[in-house]
Amino acid sequence: MTAELLQVTGFTLGVALVATLGVLGPGVLCAWILARREFPGKTLLETAVLLPLVMPPVATGLLLLWAFGARGPFGGLGVIFTWRAVVLAMAVMGLPLLVRTARPAFEQVPRRYELMAASLGASPRRVFWTVTLPLAGRGVVAGALLAFSRALGEFGATIMIAGSIPGRTLTLPVAIFTAAETGQDGRAAALLGISIALAFSAAWISNRLVRD
Amino acid sequence: MSMSLSVRLQLTLRQGEFTLTVDEAFEARVLALYGPSGAGKTSLLEAIAGWREPQAGKIAVGGRLLYASARGINVPVARRGVGYVPQDGLLFPHLTVRGNVAYGLPTTGARPDAVDRVSAILDLGELVERPVSTLSGGERQRVALARALVASPAILLLDEPLGGVDAARRQRILPYVSRVRDELNVPMIYVTHQAHEARAVADQVLMLDEGRVVNRGSVDLLPS
Amino acid sequence: MSARFGSLPSARRVVLTAALAVAAVGCGGAPHEVLVSAAASLRPAIEEIGGAYRASGGDAVLVNTASSSSLARQIVAGAPVDLFISADERQMDAVEAAGRVAAGTRVVLLSNQLAVVAPADAPARLDSLDGLVEADVRRIGIGEPTAVPAGVYARELLTAKGLWERLQPKMVPGGSVETVLAAAGSGNVDVAFVYLTDAKRSRRVRTLLVVGVDEGPRIVYPAAVLVGGRNEAGARRFLEYLTRQGRAVFSRHGFGTP
Repeated sequence: MTAELLQVTGFTLGVALVATLGVLGPGVLCAWILARREFPGKTLLETAVLLPLVMPPVATGLLLLWAFGARGPFGGLGVIFTWRAVVLAMAVMGLPLLVRTARPAFEQVPRRYELMAASLGASPRRVFWTVTLPLAGRGVVAGALLAFSRALGEFGATIMIAGSIPGRTLTLPVAIFTAAETGQDGRAAALLGISIALAFSAAWISNRLVRD
Repeated sequence: MSMSLSVRLQLTLRQGEFTLTVDEAFEARVLALYGPSGAGKTSLLEAIAGWREPQAGKIAVGGRLLYASARGINVPVARRGVGYVPQDGLLFPHLTVRGNVAYGLPTTGARPDAVDRVSAILDLGELVERPVSTLSGGERQRVALARALVASPAILLLDEPLGGVDAARRQRILPYVSRVRDELNVPMIYVTHQAHEARAVADQVLMLDEGRVVNRGSVDLLPS
Repeated sequence: MSARFGSLPSARRVVLTAALAVAAVGCGGAPHEVLVSAAASLRPAIEEIGGAYRASGGDAVLVNTASSSSLARQIVAGAPVDLFISADERQMDAVEAAGRVAAGTRVVLLSNQLAVVAPADAPARLDSLDGLVEADVRRIGIGEPTAVPAGVYARELLTAKGLWERLQPKMVPGGSVETVLAAAGSGNVDVAFVYLTDAKRSRRVRTLLVVGVDEGPRIVYPAAVLVGGRNEAGARRFLEYLTRQGRAVFSRHGFGTP
């Protein structure tokens, strides 16, 4: 059983990391656009980004299943029931959290700093990388950690588009559920213990970051 | 050797209840912008720097058009060549003094010793590696001034640089401004509500009150 | 087949082997794996049988479980499943209607029965379902009778016996069979309706009464080979194995094998 536990844990951590790194770029960009720009359709973008947060994960899973299933617009990518589906589910569920945490961080960077950097000759790109992002850094990291934690615990959408195939797509939360569902209490308890330890660590690090 | 600059300002700027209207042309090494608080001095500086867009008008510095509403010209802040030292200095909190001062160093055509030269003129010496949060008000202003100078601006705007400094220290900082004028030959617009300060550094003055220019000319016009 | 293969002229043997190899590679995907979507309650049994199958030289069996309705949805959306075993006929009907079932492969693989259980240390006895109306039975655990299949079946049974109305005030619905089982095991209810297979796997409950196959509702688990997966041939072979060599394992878990 230990080998299986290690495999599930390692797999879950790995895909969660990939998913978080994957949403970092789009998420930061989205947060910055929402914080600094006005444009027609802005409310639409805000709502779309928020959606996975307020919809039941299973509903989000169904949407993704339709979109990436054999008859959907992205069916050709071969995502369903592979590790890519796990990453997708985690990314979709984590993105809103990243954006929601990073956006206020960007909004709180005084524009005068950005203007000052421009007055010193910095291009908009240089202003972003050398002034805006560093000053919003803590919020961005906190958002990424939140997205990562969410990814570790992601269940509803994952089970829908990735399934629960041991060794392929089985993640920690899904494994806990299937073990409990079939009365394998010992296994469920062990998985639960690992899950709690991971969640605790992530939350602890996040809090330390916010305090320092 | 005097290095005076011609400046043309013709603009209307509204902010809430307040309207600033200016139609002036002048040539000076250092122009003092003199008037009580609320006269519109900071707004005028921000318009020249490009931080604020007037409702309409024209801004030209050294013969170069920075803003012309009739022709749809509005040069982006980064390309104006206008250095700005605001009242609060606005040092980047996440960089050291050195990081701040060197920030505006042009990527091409900069003198290799530009940072050191400016730091020497402003006596930054041992401040250089310090984090910005440990600086006193006066030190902060000198660093902000150095930072603006390293970027080699065509004109330098200073907004009440001695405003945050207590009376005793003001006397020690004023000479630095004179040094910048004399050793670096950078034309300046210097905002102050203290007449003696204006007399000490400037050759021309523009007097502002409630959004309008009420007098202009040689610094001798100022009350003593 | 091996006996016939060995009797072919050697040239044809080489050609046939080469053709099979090319076919196997040409399939893409996973020629030596069978992806099975099965109702959650079947996982332990199928994993056990899959292990034995693999050990005896068969394909590797990948087991995907979820609620039967979710599984059906996945299949209809095009998930590359090879074999589907549902806990309920309606879901299999949906998959069949979507054209994913390979013709003629649908069978009733397993059956189940309802059982009434009590906490393992309870001294209770139950001779017939009528005994449930007695005063010493105060709380009856049951899966949510509108949503959980086991609860739906229990309600069907009790309604047919004319007991449902009288027993309803004692009913304590649970969101899943697992919840109901846990309630029984911890003594929070006096008795509970679960599947015979659940009763057998839990050490914290004791079976009081098993509802006979002819007395109760028909609880069956249809299985079918699917088209559009990656290893249809492998699915056929494994289904064959399940219906033959798998019987003993399924029986041990408490399933009926028609």
